[in-house]
Amino acid sequence: MESKKEVVFGHAILLIGALIALYPFVSIILQALTPAPGSGAEGWTLENFISAWTRGGFSRSLLNSAIVAFAVVVATAIAAMLAGYVLSVLKFEWRVAVFALLMIGLVLPSEARIIPLYNLFASTGLLNSYWALILPQIASSFPLATFWMANYYAQLPESLSEAASLDGASEFEILRHIYAPIGMSAVLTLSCLVFLFTWNEFMLALVLMPDNVAVQTAPLSLSFFAGNERTTEPQVIAAAAVLVALPVVVAYFFLQRRFMQGLLEGAVK
Amino acid sequence: MASVDIRNVRKSFGKTDVLKGISIDVDDGQFVVLVGPSGCGKSTLLRMIAGLETISGGDIKVGDDLMNAVPPKERDIAMVFQNYALYPHMTVAQNMGFSLKLKKIPKAEIRKKVEQAAEILGLTPLLERRPAQLSGGQRQRVAMGRAIVRDPKVFLFDEPLSNLDAKLRVQMRTEIKSLHQRLRTTMLYVTHDQIEALTMADVIVLMNEGRIEQAGPPLELYDLPANMFVAGFIGSPAMNFVHGRIENGAFVSTKGVTLPLGVAPEGLEGKDVVYGVRPEHLHVVTEPGVGAEAEVQIIEPAGSETQVHLTLGGDEIVGVFRERLDLAPGSTVRLTTDSAAVHLFDPESGRRHIL
Ligand SMILES: Nc1ncnc2c1ncn2[C@@H]1O[C@H](COP(=O)(O)OP(=O)(O)OP(=O)(O)O)[C@@H](O)[C@H]1O
Ligand SMILES: [Mg+2]
Repeated sequence: MESKKEVVFGHAILLIGALIALYPFVSIILQALTPAPGSGAEGWTLENFISAWTRGGFSRSLLNSAIVAFAVVVATAIAAMLAGYVLSVLKFEWRVAVFALLMIGLVLPSEARIIPLYNLFASTGLLNSYWALILPQIASSFPLATFWMANYYAQLPESLSEAASLDGASEFEILRHIYAPIGMSAVLTLSCLVFLFTWNEFMLALVLMPDNVAVQTAPLSLSFFAGNERTTEPQVIAAAAVLVALPVVVAYFFLQRRFMQGLLEGAVK
Repeated sequence: MASVDIRNVRKSFGKTDVLKGISIDVDDGQFVVLVGPSGCGKSTLLRMIAGLETISGGDIKVGDDLMNAVPPKERDIAMVFQNYALYPHMTVAQNMGFSLKLKKIPKAEIRKKVEQAAEILGLTPLLERRPAQLSGGQRQRVAMGRAIVRDPKVFLFDEPLSNLDAKLRVQMRTEIKSLHQRLRTTMLYVTHDQIEALTMADVIVLMNEGRIEQAGPPLELYDLPANMFVAGFIGSPAMNFVHGRIENGAFVSTKGVTLPLGVAPEGLEGKDVVYGVRPEHLHVVTEPGVGAEAEVQIIEPAGSETQVHLTLGGDEIVGVFRERLDLAPGSTVRLTTDSAAVHLFDPESGRRHIL
């Protein structure tokens, strides 16, 4: 049994940690709700959001971010599910070599690939297009995603696929009817994670799509917007930051619920 | 329905030979139990029949068709796994109907077949539940239902009852047997429990270290064990073995105790033998001068019978007595046996001498 003192002490530490973590977030929101200089509004106001939206072109860049994130998440999820199935369930003969390769992809810092990527896309003419952001991010999420799915499938009993094959299912039917539906919850959690990474990606966007406003993603246009407006209206920048971060927050809450669910499932079994 | 013909089948995993030449003829409609100690290769053999393991040597035929190169999904064989391997995201009805759905059989017909099988197995009220919402015994039934629905050529079971508690195990044993009598499908059943083997089998195949020690009807293995391994494995408690030799047509143990024999065995005079007698074939006698003296060590009453551990000279033996005996630890009793129930084994090879 923990003593009362220990409980109080533990909670105090958690509380301090939570305050430190929440402070920047709360202060940004408060600032975003404060009237900007020169506006006639009193008290709390939403007009910063409106002016950020109209002046910063965020409708365009948020849509771009959504297109990129959606493409990356869907492609990664499908590829990882297929790869995880082949590696863990079908026991692909060279799986050790494949895992070793994926490991390289996992440990290589993303900064190290930017210059080669730039050259590659410059030579193929894909610079300043959606592809310049989508393709590298599929590639960089793929190792982690594959480990994730392979590990999930490896935990299921082998007799599951054996039973299905005796029931007359082909390898693809086993994936389609058994492993894909069972893996759905793992895929959803994974998709949330990949969404977070992809949405927040800044460096790639900065290097690979600097000259085409039509395809720029939200973090990039936030940075340009902030660069232009920095001195005059910090409240509008704060509002823009909240707009850009909103989808991440939603994804985070979704993810957190899934994690809690996973923990509870484990406890009940 | 089909016969299964297993011809000199071998299996090696790398350098270790797990099956060293197994031949079994399973007749159409027979219930064959593969039994043997852990690690003897029972599951491996069953999985080879199902097509889940490759065959290193020999042939497996189902009916007239050579199965060696046929993938599992085309073998028309159903298997009930030890862990049941139910599809966790499907309801009981979907689990049972899965194979039919793959065959593109109309929904109404699937429904009908699933309901029939559920009726046989008492699963009707559970059809819409998921496996996680079932007890162990119910999951076991669903696994059987999944096999029944397919009406396969052969049923395979790999220790299907080992995850159930003792009482349910006995009940399911009877249910599987009655299922067999009803369906008359060829069944191969793996267990390491000799009681399951004795009670369920038409034919028992007793395996040890990748070889068959003896195959035959249960009572044949019980009455006429081919060797000491079979004699010791089949029957519970296990057969008593006493080492000694034949002197003047009688058996004398190494500790100097003379034990009853029927006819004096020919050609064994002066030879070392192992005397084997089952606990249930020992009797306590009261007439003076009859039988061999033994000292009572431990008494274990079990209601219908009493198991008694005794020492005979210096050899430890076990007796099972159905009559109520007034015994106390440390007391002395005199034992006899039906001479017909006595087996003599060769101590070198373990083989049973034909008397
Ligand atoms: N994939 C494998 N690779 C290497 N050795 C294996 C493999 N599968 C089984 N074996 C070995 O083959 C032998 C027979 O295994 P098997 O599972 O057939 O035994 P079993 O008779 O079913 O035993 P149990 O009653 O414990 O289930 C064992 O010694 C086991 O270690
Ligand atoms: Mg086994």
